[in-house]
Amino acid sequence: MKFVCLKCETYMTFEKVEKPAEGTLGVFFECPSCQSRFSMVTNPGETQMVSSLGVQLGGRTEAAIPLEMTRGGLEENVSAGKGQMAAYLNEKIQGGQPASAAPAASAAPASGEGESGGCPFSAMVAQMGLGSSGASSTAAPAVEQLLWTPDAQEKLAKLPSFVQPMVKSSVETYARKSGFTTVTLQVMDDSKNASTEGIKWTPEAQQRLDNIPDFIRPMAKREIERLVKEKGGSEITADMMEEAKEKFMKFM
Amino acid sequence: MNQQKDLKEILNTLQYTDDAKVVEQISVHTKRVIMRMKGIRRKVVVMSGKGGVGKSMTTVNLALALARMGQRVGLLDVDINGPCVPQMLGMRGKGLLDTAEGAVPPTGPLGIKVASMDFLLQDNAPVRWKGPMDLSPVWLGLTEMNVIREFLSDMVWGELDYLLADLPPGAAADKPPLLVGLIPDLAGAVVVTTPSEVASNVVQKSIAYAQELGIGILGVVENMSEYRCPSCGDTNPLFEGDTESMCEVLGLPLLGRIPFDRNFARTFDKGEPILDGDNPTVAKYQDIAKKIHTLLDYQQVLTGKL
Repeated sequence: MKFVCLKCETYMTFEKVEKPAEGTLGVFFECPSCQSRFSMVTNPGETQMVSSLGVQLGGRTEAAIPLEMTRGGLEENVSAGKGQMAAYLNEKIQGGQPASAAPAASAAPASGEGESGGCPFSAMVAQMGLGSSGASSTAAPAVEQLLWTPDAQEKLAKLPSFVQPMVKSSVETYARKSGFTTVTLQVMDDSKNASTEGIKWTPEAQQRLDNIPDFIRPMAKREIERLVKEKGGSEITADMMEEAKEKFMKFM
Repeated sequence: MNQQKDLKEILNTLQYTDDAKVVEQISVHTKRVIMRMKGIRRKVVVMSGKGGVGKSMTTVNLALALARMGQRVGLLDVDINGPCVPQMLGMRGKGLLDTAEGAVPPTGPLGIKVASMDFLLQDNAPVRWKGPMDLSPVWLGLTEMNVIREFLSDMVWGELDYLLADLPPGAAADKPPLLVGLIPDLAGAVVVTTPSEVASNVVQKSIAYAQELGIGILGVVENMSEYRCPSCGDTNPLFEGDTESMCEVLGLPLLGRIPFDRNFARTFDKGEPILDGDNPTVAKYQDIAKKIHTLLDYQQVLTGKL
C-alpha cells in the first residue's frame, strides 16, 4: 500500500509502525518533499490481516525466530478476541450504539449493489455468475443427446451407482469424439480401450504393458502416451515401447 | 473523474518502491521453504477430502513402514486444528528444539522426525488465534496458510528420503493449492478412502481437484475395508462400496486395503504403536509402502518389465 502526496505529486515514504492500543497499528508516512506526515490507523480486523501475512512492516530489523508467527499468533486466553471487532466498530464508528442499529442509509450501496438487498457481496457474486440465481448470461452450448441401446444401458446399470456418472460421461465423450450417435456395447468396449489422449495401442504393445505390475500400470500408460504424443504419434507400437524403455533408462 | 485522471498522470511519473517490504519478505519466505525442501528427496501428501477415513492412521503407518524399509522419514502433521500424530506415536510432551538454524523436530519410533502443531499447545488446549473472532473468516485462512508455510520453512529436517504430510479433512478446498505452491516438486498424493459410497463420492471430487492442480495421485488406500474380530480374527465387510471399481474408472492403482482392527487402533490411541512387522495389519501397510516406493521409482521398474 502506498500513499501519494497530491500536493507534491510524489509517493510518501514509510516512516515507522507503532502500536497505539491492543489490536491496532499506527503506520506513519511522510512526504519527502513537503515533510507532511500522517498516520494510518488499522482496526483489529485489518491488524490481524497484516499479522496473518507473517511479515513485519518496514522490513526486519532482527532475524526471525523459528515459527515466529505461529507462536506469536496463538491465543493463550481462549475467550479473548471474541467480539473484538464488533466492540471496536461500536465504539469508534457507531458512537456507542449497537452496530446492528446503524441506519441502513448510512451505508449506501455502491452502484450495482442496489438490487441485491444492499449486500455488496451478493452483487459481486451475481456479477461473477456464482450465485444460485447468478447464472451466466451466456447459455452453455447445447450438447446433442446420445442414444443408448438397451444392452448398453443394462451394462451401465450393473456398475456401482457411484461410478455410473463418470463411466457414462467418459463413454459419451469417446462416442462424440468418434462420431457415434448411439452408444452400443461395442462403443462401450472401444471407449475402455481408447486412450484418453486419443492414442491407440497395438495388441503387441498392450501385451507388453500388461507385463507391468498392475499398481504401476496406469502411471506407466500415461507416461508412455505422453512420450508418444510429444513425438506427434497417435499409435503405440512395440518399437515405440522400446524407445520409451531406452528413454526411461537414461533417467536411472 | 478529473481527480482520477490526475492521479493516473502522477503515478505514471513515479517510481514504485516496496517501502513496507511486504513483497520482499513474502518472497524470502518462499525461498526459505524451497531451501528447506532441498534436503528432502520425496515429498508425499496423504489426503482425502473426507473426514474420519483414517488419514492420520494411514500416514503414521506409512511413515513407520518406510522407516522399516531403511528410509529416513519425516512426518508433517498439517492438521493444525486437530493434530493427533504425536499422540499416535507416543510423542506427546515432546517439543521442538529451537536452534539458530530453525526448529528441530523431535524423533519418534523408528527414527521418524515429527513436526506438529500439538508440540506448541498445552495439554488439551484447542488452537485459538489472537484477533477478532467475529472477523475470523477474513483472516483465519491466511493465518493457517502461513502457519503451514512456517512449518515448512522453519523446520530443520536435515536429509530425508521421505517427508509425508498428513493433510486435514476437507483439504480439497485450500491446502493442496498451498502445498503445490510451496513445494513445486511434490512427488504426489496418496488418497485415503473407505469403501462407503459417501466417502468415495467426496474422495473422487478431491482427486479430480488435485489432478487439476497438477498433483500426481500415486494411488488409493482403502481403509476400514473390513472388520477384523478381536476375538476370533474373522473378517467381515464394513461397507458395501467398491473402491476397486472407482480406481479402475479413475485409472488409479488401489494400493491396498486395510481392515478395521480394534486392537491395532487401540494401541495408537494409547500412544503405543505396534512396530512389529509380523502383525497382519502392519504387514498390509508395509505392502502399500513398498508399492509407493516402487511407484516413485517406476522408471526403473519399466526398464525391467517393458
